[in-house]
Amino acid sequence: MNDISRRNFLAGIGVAGAGAGLLQINPDFLFSSAFAQTGKTMVFLSAENITGNWDPSGHTTLSQKNIEGFVMGFLTRTPMKLDNPGEVVYELATDIKLLDPHRLQIKLREGIVFHDGKPFKAEDVKATFEYGALPDRPAQWYPGPTETLTIETPDDYTVIVDTSKGGYPAHLFIFLASFLPIMSAKDIAGGPTGPLTQRLNGTGPFKFGKQEGNATILEAYPDYFLGAPKIPGISFNFVGDSTTRMLSLLNGQASIVERLEPEQVTSLEGNDKIAISSVISVENKYLWFRCSKAPFDNPLVRKAACHAIDRSMLVEILGSAGHASANYVSPVKFGYLDLPNYPEYSPEKCQALLAEAGFPKGEGLPALEYITSVGFYPKTKEYGEVITAMLQEQGFQVSLSVLEIAAWNERLYDRPGGGPGHMVDCGWSTGSPEPDLVLRTHFHSSSKRICGIVDKEIDASLDKERSAPTLEERKAILQTETMPMLADKVPALSLFTSVMIHAMDKSLAGLFIYPDGSMDASKATFG
Amino acid sequence: MFVLSFLVRRLAQGALIVFLVTLLIFTLLRVVPGDPVRLMAGGMAPEALIEQIAKDMGLRDPILVQFGRYMGGVVRGDLGQSFVRPASGASTGGSSFGDSTRGERAEVLTLIGETLPMTLQLGGLAILFALVFSFLVGIPGGLAPGRWPDRVAFYISSIFISLPNFWLGIVLAMLLSVQLGWLPAIGYGGFAYTILPAIVLAVELAPVLIRTLTGSVAGVMMEPFIAVGNVRGLSRSRIIVAHALRNASVPLLNLIGIQISGLLGGVLVVEFIFDYPGLGLLTITAVLQRDFPLIQGIAIVTSAIFVFINIAVDLIATMIDPRLEY
Repeated sequence: MNDISRRNFLAGIGVAGAGAGLLQINPDFLFSSAFAQTGKTMVFLSAENITGNWDPSGHTTLSQKNIEGFVMGFLTRTPMKLDNPGEVVYELATDIKLLDPHRLQIKLREGIVFHDGKPFKAEDVKATFEYGALPDRPAQWYPGPTETLTIETPDDYTVIVDTSKGGYPAHLFIFLASFLPIMSAKDIAGGPTGPLTQRLNGTGPFKFGKQEGNATILEAYPDYFLGAPKIPGISFNFVGDSTTRMLSLLNGQASIVERLEPEQVTSLEGNDKIAISSVISVENKYLWFRCSKAPFDNPLVRKAACHAIDRSMLVEILGSAGHASANYVSPVKFGYLDLPNYPEYSPEKCQALLAEAGFPKGEGLPALEYITSVGFYPKTKEYGEVITAMLQEQGFQVSLSVLEIAAWNERLYDRPGGGPGHMVDCGWSTGSPEPDLVLRTHFHSSSKRICGIVDKEIDASLDKERSAPTLEERKAILQTETMPMLADKVPALSLFTSVMIHAMDKSLAGLFIYPDGSMDASKATFG
Repeated sequence: MFVLSFLVRRLAQGALIVFLVTLLIFTLLRVVPGDPVRLMAGGMAPEALIEQIAKDMGLRDPILVQFGRYMGGVVRGDLGQSFVRPASGASTGGSSFGDSTRGERAEVLTLIGETLPMTLQLGGLAILFALVFSFLVGIPGGLAPGRWPDRVAFYISSIFISLPNFWLGIVLAMLLSVQLGWLPAIGYGGFAYTILPAIVLAVELAPVLIRTLTGSVAGVMMEPFIAVGNVRGLSRSRIIVAHALRNASVPLLNLIGIQISGLLGGVLVVEFIFDYPGLGLLTITAVLQRDFPLIQGIAIVTSAIFVFINIAVDLIATMIDPRLEY
């Protein structure tokens, strides 16, 4: 047994060599990289992907707006808290005042430089407004096109916005000031195919580093005018699956994740290493009617459908992700009030309206398709099934089409002759108290994104509130005329207001989350 | 000479299979609901613009014309550009057709080239784990048919085959990553990120390998040449390693070829759960975004890989056992 043969000798050499090799392997390479970033860079996992074009005027994508919130500077910021929706915090501006109904004067902060080294001046605000208001810019946040604006810069730190040519009041720019990222005039001079598309260049606390696959890498900007950020950078990553995002937070790879499902909130609440942030958001979720085709071209049928839906049950299904509201804008937006005439659940009223419309008990109504999505908004399928059942109970022949995001997005918007289906579920979120970013966008016949409504009375009321000379008068028109009119004609039914839920590493302190999901991480630290 | 004729014959068959798969995928993508042009141009784009873009891109031509044009590019090594991904490779959405990044869309070949090695690393490690585990459990089972090692092998393979991979992935991530902190779970930041998803895939692969190995080892051990080995004075370990395993490995090898082909389904789920940046995750996002050129490119590459794997498996099997003819 102890004889040394050629085979045994070679086998022994092999085993000894493998053993020696094993001693040389540093097992750290297997395990060290996993948690290297904990307590350093803030890792944010986003539920939505970005567009691939960094021009802030080239998209309406929420996740990219969130990245802009870290990098870009804004004239003001609006925290939009429920108890003080009108609060304004001055950032690049130091003062904004109306000189007269058509002229707004903006005084700018001095000594600020863009991340590329260019000093921030009035020319940048002028260029941003004139470029962003161009009719071909996809975002279309401005109250009128460039030719309706005259922007003067009496000195390097004063801007006067004159809206006389457009006939609308200049105060519309007060709320927009907190929503429009200020770009560099030098970048804008390069045009829509220039440097604007390649990277972000702003005055915010973090500067754009690079795009690595699905990760946007931001670095702390040491010369930020309110003081260098405490954390060295942010990694903003798109991770589509909510379970994956939660697991990543639990094992310490992610610092903060968004768009949690209500069940996930319940399970995370007992975890002493995780903190939950719930903010009533600027986003309402809507049931949009296709108003340009039968049967929802008839306001009686639309209203009957609204009275068939018990919204309190939907809020119950949503749990911590929903907040009851009774208006077309979120409670944190300018002009919100619980509308007295907002359609409540009433089978009797529903039946009376159906009979008045010529469809007693729903007889004679065509088969209706209700389109919703899964994968982005919480509980859409669950409450979609409940809405379908409630409508069926009143005689509407509704079938629910549950689509993944891309297919839903493809069928979302209005088209000539009416968009696909008869009803569609969608939310709308804009990071400003400005109500027209929702109302005018959706219900004015010049825009009518999803519902496709063309109604001269609504148009006139929207024009009237927009043209009110003061904010107080505008608020009065919104609350007593425009919003009640919308609740009467119901081109859509706002179902509830979303609650923006983030879960984060408990040691992450000093992070402020705005109601649109964007964040101020300039004072964030890992304790 | 045999190897050459074998390769020529099988490669010609393989090219035909890849061609048919490409034609099938190409046709199916164009008849499913969901207009990619609408996604590219943005939901708010007018119908006239949608039609104009579709015409400009040749997407309204007859399917066979489009296919001919596409294959013309493929034979020149051009799999086209992604409809939606920019050159940075980021998964994107909500872009509009008019934006300048339209001209900077990522090359399909580049996207596949960046993600395929990640998936090969994952698949390779999963097969290694599965083989090691299957040998450790299956060989003792095969050497002791009807006794406890055989029963253990049977129970383990029965349990493993009953575990859904998406469930196992979440449970293992909770246990090994969240609770114990041994392994990272999400994304990719080094080789360690491959281990957990590879374990999940290995659990999916192992049951069939264990059963095959147990059965074939048990069968070979009853062959006369094994009994003769004792008479020749060979040690039991040498009989098992050099004779039994060599003969038992042929069915195992064929099975591995099939298992690798079936691995893609598991890779899709596992890469999505672990946000592992491989070909599976790329495929899922490409499908969700109706990114036709990317889906087609992935289909061509994966079908070509499967064809080559099967050719290689058959070739190796004939080298191990020259009696086999393919």
